[in-house]
Amino acid sequence: MIKGYWHPKGSAVRLSATLFVDDSGYYTVTVEDKEFALSGEIAHLELSERLGNVERKIILEDGSLFTSHENDTLDKIFKERRKVNSFVHYLETHLSWIAVAFVVTIFTAFSFFKWGIPWTSEKLAHALPHETNQLISSGSMKFLDKYMFDESNISKAKQEKIRQHFKEKIAPLSEGDDNQIEYKIHFRSWEMGGSKIPNALALPSGDIIMTDKFIELSKNQDEIDSVLLHEMGHVVYRHGLEMLIEGTFITVAVMMISGDGSGLGDMGVGLGSALVSSSYSRGHESEADLYAFKKMLIAKIDPASFSHIMNRMTVYMEEENNRTKADAQNEKVLDYFSSHPSTKNRIELANRYSECFKEGLTLCK
Amino acid sequence: MEALRFNGSGSEYFKIWIVNILLTIITLGLYLPWAKVRNRRYFYANSALKDRNFEYHATGKQLFLGYLIGIVFFIIYNIVGQLNPALALLMMLILFLAIPWLIWRSLMFNMKMTSFSNVRFTFKGKAGRAYMIYLGYPALFVLFISLIGVGSSVIIPALQNMNPVVITVLGIVAFVSFLFAELYLVAIMKKSSIEYRYNNTTYGQGIFDTKIETKKFLILLFKTAGLAFIPMLFIGVVANMIIPTMIGANPYQTGASSVIGGAELFIIIAYFLMIFMMMLVGAYFVSRERKYVYENTLLDNKISFASTLRARSLAWVMVSNFFLILFTLGLAFPWAKVRVARLMLENTLVDTSVGFDAYLSEKQDEVSAIGDQIGDAFDVDVGIAL
Repeated sequence: MIKGYWHPKGSAVRLSATLFVDDSGYYTVTVEDKEFALSGEIAHLELSERLGNVERKIILEDGSLFTSHENDTLDKIFKERRKVNSFVHYLETHLSWIAVAFVVTIFTAFSFFKWGIPWTSEKLAHALPHETNQLISSGSMKFLDKYMFDESNISKAKQEKIRQHFKEKIAPLSEGDDNQIEYKIHFRSWEMGGSKIPNALALPSGDIIMTDKFIELSKNQDEIDSVLLHEMGHVVYRHGLEMLIEGTFITVAVMMISGDGSGLGDMGVGLGSALVSSSYSRGHESEADLYAFKKMLIAKIDPASFSHIMNRMTVYMEEENNRTKADAQNEKVLDYFSSHPSTKNRIELANRYSECFKEGLTLCK
Repeated sequence: MEALRFNGSGSEYFKIWIVNILLTIITLGLYLPWAKVRNRRYFYANSALKDRNFEYHATGKQLFLGYLIGIVFFIIYNIVGQLNPALALLMMLILFLAIPWLIWRSLMFNMKMTSFSNVRFTFKGKAGRAYMIYLGYPALFVLFISLIGVGSSVIIPALQNMNPVVITVLGIVAFVSFLFAELYLVAIMKKSSIEYRYNNTTYGQGIFDTKIETKKFLILLFKTAGLAFIPMLFIGVVANMIIPTMIGANPYQTGASSVIGGAELFIIIAYFLMIFMMMLVGAYFVSRERKYVYENTLLDNKISFASTLRARSLAWVMVSNFFLILFTLGLAFPWAKVRVARLMLENTLVDTSVGFDAYLSEKQDEVSAIGDQIGDAFDVDVGIAL
């Protein structure tokens, strides 16, 4: 005997009722107050799927409804007489399957972000024609000139000298990796918050921008070359395009995950995306470093030049920071981040390639 | 007055949620419509008023076709977006034109698929009205802003020879009246949207009726804007302090990576602060809006509603859920969702003195789920209270 409620067809009227099932496969629903009963074959009943312990609905032959919370008893009765779709419920109630689902979910999510997105983005970025690179960077130079850069104060003669050197010695090193790329060197001055910024940037199209402060801080041609090669690495590996595709993937993934949420999970999404993206961009940096070091061995340039100029730029920026704001707290934060392993790793790699250089090798393992 | 209850639990929902994810992964996403049905049904069927509960009747099969269309459109849109921005813009425009239609279809479908105590809801709104509310008003809003832009570019040069004090006063007057006009438009949009949704919804043969005033929404919006102004001012100051450290946040620079690290931390802190403020302000608005709308809504002119939701309890649940989800990398999501459902339901009151026995389901046509699913894939907000 199963206790529950009975509703006339399509009606909100709810009356206490009981369901009784006999051994021969017949049922009787007795409605308490009305003192009447409905009966028939169990095979003709329609039972809603089990879900947690929510109220079960059984549609009777006349379209009226019997509902009950006695899920386990109902499952037992119906299982003996007819097929009950309980596969998903079986998974949901067995601890071992929950554990499996848990592990699979964590593993899939992890591998998706760790390998899936970068791998697919890389393949896609390289499958697209070079025109795509020009397309995505077409507006960038104008934007940068308008909002960030000023005209360079470096003499035309010096600019020409660096360009000439690049054309003769550095650009030929890129032969064989992607012939469509035509590199162009630009000189600009960049000032922000009262400090001149030493920096070099590459647009996906092959435009490389060097700031005045960067030229000023560099002590020799080798240092400039090492940074130029690093920027070429970004262009050759199409990191700009990869970032764009990765960003799209992250957005889609996050939308799918938070799809059944009430907009609640969305709040953390921006932060999550930012962290994932910054981890990808760290990978891009080391890839570009490696490209630069390999080419430097071929061109007989000491890879240590790269860590020298990097160090000098970092020290300069820290000093500038302390100068513009004498904030003790701020200094501590910077300190924590300058011992960040990724910076250390980059310098270590440069030193290892420098060892190879000193031994006169053109390949380093 | 009787409060609704939520009978589910976080641990029970976690099992359903994780198995949904497992099956979605194994089927490479094809299971998603069925997962969605299980999710939604769990929350509907566990929402109860006394011993009567809600039920969600859609099946995975009904949602599947619309889901496929949504996915295909989304993939095409993303590919096209990378290759040809102009074409992507055109697709976006088409989508914009389709949004009111999607909202309208979603409302019809979802209401038909929802029952309370064996009686279905229906939505009888017209598509035309949806276009007015979800396309017409927003377009008016944008037009108004651009008019202001054009107007000021004409007027400002003409003012150059005037007294700076006069210009400042005029500027302030213009800014305030502009703000007032914009908020007024938002209030009208909010009001019409709520009226469209509520007044076109029926429960069986019963008709919902909500009587709300634009003025009340305007006052609430002003209060919310005032409340939001304080954190914005604060964030503005913080942002100005950190901008000098953000130099070279471009990932493609060679040097100074340690300095970026410092800036990253500040950005994260500012980001957290902003989320907090948004949650507090959002909780304030949601709780007040709910209270006002519920108290002015009647079913068949006899069954009344009320909301006892307080801004501080909603803010607390939102903020604590945020950290719960963050620190468990999303694994606590089921508990977070159950907490929100419980808070919302337990603070929704319904007058039960009349009773529901007189209500009967109306005869219905089948509705396709395409609108519902496409709406979801593109995150069109079609959520409806009650």
